Amino acid sequence: LDHGYGLPTAAKDFLSSVATQDVPTPERPRAIFHTSESDPAKHTEQHEGRHYGIPLEEVKAVFPHGLPSRFQQQIQTFNEARVMVRKPALELFAYLRSSNFAHPAVRYVIYGERGTGKTMILCHVVHYCSRQGWLVLHIPDAHLWVKNCKELLQSSYNKDRLDQPLQASTWLKNFKISNERFLRELKTQKKYVWGKRESTEEGRPLGEVVDQGLARVRSASDAVGVVLKEIKQQCHHGSFRLLVAVDGVNALWGRTTLRKEDKSPVSPGELTLVHNLRKMVMNNWSGGAIVTTLSQTGSLFKPSSAYLPQELLGKEGFDALDPFVPVPVPNYSPREFESCYGYYLERKWLQHEKARTEDGKAELQFLSGSNPRQLDRLAGPL
Amino acid sequence: PRLMQVRWTRYNPSYMEPEVNKEFYKKPLEELTEEEREKMELKAVRPIKAAPPNLSSSVFSDPMISKFTNMMMRNGNKVLARSLMTQTLEAIKRKQLEKYHKAPENEKETIECNPYVIFHQALKNCQPIIGLSNITKGGKTYQVPVPLKDNRKRFLAMKWLITECRENKHRRTLMPEKLSQELLLAFNNEGPVIKRKHVLHKMAEANRAYAHFRWW
Repeated sequence: LDHGYGLPTAAKDFLSSVATQDVPTPERPRAIFHTSESDPAKHTEQHEGRHYGIPLEEVKAVFPHGLPSRFQQQIQTFNEARVMVRKPALELFAYLRSSNFAHPAVRYVIYGERGTGKTMILCHVVHYCSRQGWLVLHIPDAHLWVKNCKELLQSSYNKDRLDQPLQASTWLKNFKISNERFLRELKTQKKYVWGKRESTEEGRPLGEVVDQGLARVRSASDAVGVVLKEIKQQCHHGSFRLLVAVDGVNALWGRTTLRKEDKSPVSPGELTLVHNLRKMVMNNWSGGAIVTTLSQTGSLFKPSSAYLPQELLGKEGFDALDPFVPVPVPNYSPREFESCYGYYLERKWLQHEKARTEDGKAELQFLSGSNPRQLDRLAGPL
Repeated sequence: PRLMQVRWTRYNPSYMEPEVNKEFYKKPLEELTEEEREKMELKAVRPIKAAPPNLSSSVFSDPMISKFTNMMMRNGNKVLARSLMTQTLEAIKRKQLEKYHKAPENEKETIECNPYVIFHQALKNCQPIIGLSNITKGGKTYQVPVPLKDNRKRFLAMKWLITECRENKHRRTLMPEKLSQELLLAFNNEGPVIKRKHVLHKMAEANRAYAHFRWW
């Protein structure tokens, strides 16, 4: 629990925000870097800079895909999943709470330099929405759909487009794990014919469409398209809220590294998955929100110093996403850095004897420049 | 070499070595000994040699670790060697931390999680005490047991670890994985490197008869 005690200079600013309860015996001086509030809906400015824990079963249910790989290793080593509450996330929660769901969906674009924590903020928002009972459409990394694809099939639905069975089937599998409940409740509103002998009648639960896509991998991309279309149509009625969370949205409007059989380059618009996702990200539906992240790390043909929306999205992407709310994510503030450092010390991640001294801390802050990714990389071997 | 070398091996003898340790400069004047006071006075007057690139003033730098990274380096690719070293230390730390969190309360103190302590202890366990050298007498070469200098012991320990990882492991495993496994085995006095050290000791013991051939 949050207790404030007599501490060395480092964490005095935490004390000022906590209602100090004068309990004489200090149990765990580092406990103030944690908060026991595991429901994101109740996070306020008071919790800013602290880490909150997500129970491991919830992690497996809500995030079958989507967490960064280093964070997954961290969960495995420490046996717990702790995410820091940061200001951009609290801002987004305020916007989501006060948004009018009768109006068209608002688009939020989280941008920032490399390694400042954009994906983690997106995951925080996804956790919040899944706790509130929204239907979450989480695409872990749109860049994975435009590069390194082993199989490209010509789509049977539309001759110009290309299908990606592997990526579509992995996404469907993860989508099924995270949204079991909705797949049973929502019903299809049209009849879909998959082949000569397979079709889905009107009024069947959406879970059947997903199973069809998983069973017949050739039509997995079309199954994804059907699922997206159905969800978008039914969101108007207001029986559920929809959150579209896309990581690396700049992949949808850039270039791809894929080539057709005659070695001509493929543009993203020719891929069925990307085409359907672009339709989802348009603001012509109501009853939910679209939260996206720009990412330079996986992007193709973009310089490494580019992080602003105009540079990463390009003209086409920017025009498509045009009325959006930008949410900048800065590096760690001194308070957040203290919190992260304290967390690593408490979990015994920083093992070097000199890392505990003031000199060591100053050196870590200088070398990482308060950048979360650099701090994580530096603290690894120490 | 692509870079212009600033530090040459042939300096004017008046040039002095750079002092990198911050603690040295924070000490007040009274605590310095006579020699150190003379050195400080000289530093005000004499020019100083350029610092070599592997010397750092960071509190986290360790000369043994840098020596090991240099030995792992191939074709001058220090960036790759250093990243492999950091990944190895991180892998050791992760394995030990996982064991630590799963262990019951009374065993928690016995598990060592600090990768640097493990590295130093493993190297110490791998160092041979006595070595063999080839001495030719009367047309025949004999393997004579000979005491080793500290530098030679350290070098042999590091060399054995690296060659063991490079050659006797499965082709597809990555170097950090292999190295972390070897270091943990050596820390517990098990594993192929410790075996090689014991084999060397046994050969030296077997060749005791020729020990008088040594003249130094």
